[in-house]
Amino acid sequence: MKITFDIPWTRYALIAELAKRLDGVNPQFGKTVLEKLVFFLQEIYGIKCGYDFELYSYGPFDSQLLGDLDLVEHWGGVTVLRVNNSFGGYRIQPSEKVDSIVGKAKEFIEDQKTEKALDDLVSNYGAMTARDLELRATTVYVERGLRKKGEYRSKEKICSLVSQIKPKFDFQEIEQAVLELKKRSHIEFTD
Amino acid sequence: MGKIFEIRDPIHGFVTLNEWERDIINHPVFQRLRRIRQLGLTDMVYPGSMHTRFEHSLGVMQVATRMFNHIKERRSDFLKSELHFNDDGLRRDKVLVRLSCLLHDVGHAPFSHAAEGLMDKDQLSGKSYKHEQYSAAAVDFLMQDVIENHPLNQNYHIKAKEIADFLNGDSSVGRSLLWRDLVSGQLDADRADYLLRDSHHIGVAYGYYDLNRLIATLTVAIEPDNDSPVIAVEEGGEHAAEALIIARYMMFTQVYFQHTRRAYDYHSIESIKALLAKSKVQAGKEVFPAPTSKENVEEYLKWDDWKVLGLISAGEAGKNGKIMMERKHHRAVFETPETPRAEDQEFAKEIQDALGSKVAFVDFASGSWYKFEAADVPFLLQPGHTDEQLTTLSTISSVVKGLTTVNRTRIYVPMGKKDEARETVAKKRKEREEKR
Repeated sequence: MKITFDIPWTRYALIAELAKRLDGVNPQFGKTVLEKLVFFLQEIYGIKCGYDFELYSYGPFDSQLLGDLDLVEHWGGVTVLRVNNSFGGYRIQPSEKVDSIVGKAKEFIEDQKTEKALDDLVSNYGAMTARDLELRATTVYVERGLRKKGEYRSKEKICSLVSQIKPKFDFQEIEQAVLELKKRSHIEFTD
Repeated sequence: MGKIFEIRDPIHGFVTLNEWERDIINHPVFQRLRRIRQLGLTDMVYPGSMHTRFEHSLGVMQVATRMFNHIKERRSDFLKSELHFNDDGLRRDKVLVRLSCLLHDVGHAPFSHAAEGLMDKDQLSGKSYKHEQYSAAAVDFLMQDVIENHPLNQNYHIKAKEIADFLNGDSSVGRSLLWRDLVSGQLDADRADYLLRDSHHIGVAYGYYDLNRLIATLTVAIEPDNDSPVIAVEEGGEHAAEALIIARYMMFTQVYFQHTRRAYDYHSIESIKALLAKSKVQAGKEVFPAPTSKENVEEYLKWDDWKVLGLISAGEAGKNGKIMMERKHHRAVFETPETPRAEDQEFAKEIQDALGSKVAFVDFASGSWYKFEAADVPFLLQPGHTDEQLTTLSTISSVVKGLTTVNRTRIYVPMGKKDEARETVAKKRKEREEKR
């Protein structure tokens, strides 16, 4: 337990900042897209967001992030709209106090490294669908897992593991995502 | 088939197991769970809270098996046609799920979650290890023989490493990850068991819900937006699922995050810290060794409630040990609302500054192990029909939609400074009112 008070404003500010940056960029910016983008920010761009993503059949996920989203909504930083009844039918939009929430962690958000990471993240992944992000996030998680264990990483091995976790994606699509991530230097494997 | 054993259980009637599972249960790593209380020092508030991780682990295995069996029977065609399972694959996965559930808590520290903050950091990620990683390491390093070399495993060839990977959520378990939701998810067997079990032992009714109905409405579906398989609840199960979510909310606010209970979490952490420092487990460190080698895990598992309580009783745990023995715990003198506004949080910071060195510790709901976050559950409309549709429970449940994340903050001071601190808080409140 902490001895002193420490509100995790950086986590809340990050959600608010993403809502601002993706407004009008990603029509599917809901809970799934938020999970995957923050995962990328942490894993690919090395920003310490403070989340602990674990792998499920629906990709890397941390329930704390949804809890934080709920608080930011409660504080008027974002609005989480129900746009249809489908599972992913939520849209996150900036709300009237978005700047005030971002301002609470101004130093973090305006830090050169964070800014560059957010620019790259939005430019590379900001407009992708939830489905495309899901596939890529799972691929990055799989590759990082193999790397951490010091296991041999080939395109075939990564594709095969992703295919087992995501049986509804065809192998060609997975292969394409793997190659695209490698081209961006966001994953590494031996040819 | 072999012999089947039955163990009486206050929640599920009987837990049934085979000879292989009995041998695993008899292993010293599992028997240690008899010496790890489920809720740490909760008995300081609710005297009935003396149950252990041992009975909970048996219960989780039993519930997960019922969940798995129901989904398999209900959605057999779907599992085969959409997710490429066959009967042998499902039989094997059931065993994997049973063993993983049975062993999911073997890596708990003394007093369960309370000591979670005393786990070493992963050198690579800089993050603290979690008890699940200690469980996985204990299975992998110490239980290989009892898991892999039993004659009943000849049909499955399950490796200890596979169970460890399943518990860690490692991608190597492939499509079996689907079942991870039964061990660690919104409607998992862990929660399903502990809510009922804790309520039973503590003597509260907050955690009760209709487990039978919940299980009878579990299903598997594909998330249409991202083509991923998920465990869901189907139409007819909405009230059982609602009840479980409300039970979590009630148990969190009334039991797990109860103010005195949290004070004893603090005192137990500080006591163990003092004991670790004295024990020289790791020179200069007040944390448990990392779960990265067999030796480390063996050293870690030597620590259980009996050992810690014995040392506290012998006066080895410093001032926090003494506080525990005399029940003179730190007192909460300020708390924010359950769902504070940003200004409430800032006021809490002002109070802390005004109290200065009187503050013993600050507690956050978000820092507690049993958090209550706004949760949603995949919900399947018109199951089995051509217009089957996956949505979320909050779409049809205004109760679930209305629940928000609990983010209460509390400030504690030593017992002897309580009155003085309360005066300071009252003064700050008055100033705040006057400003308004």
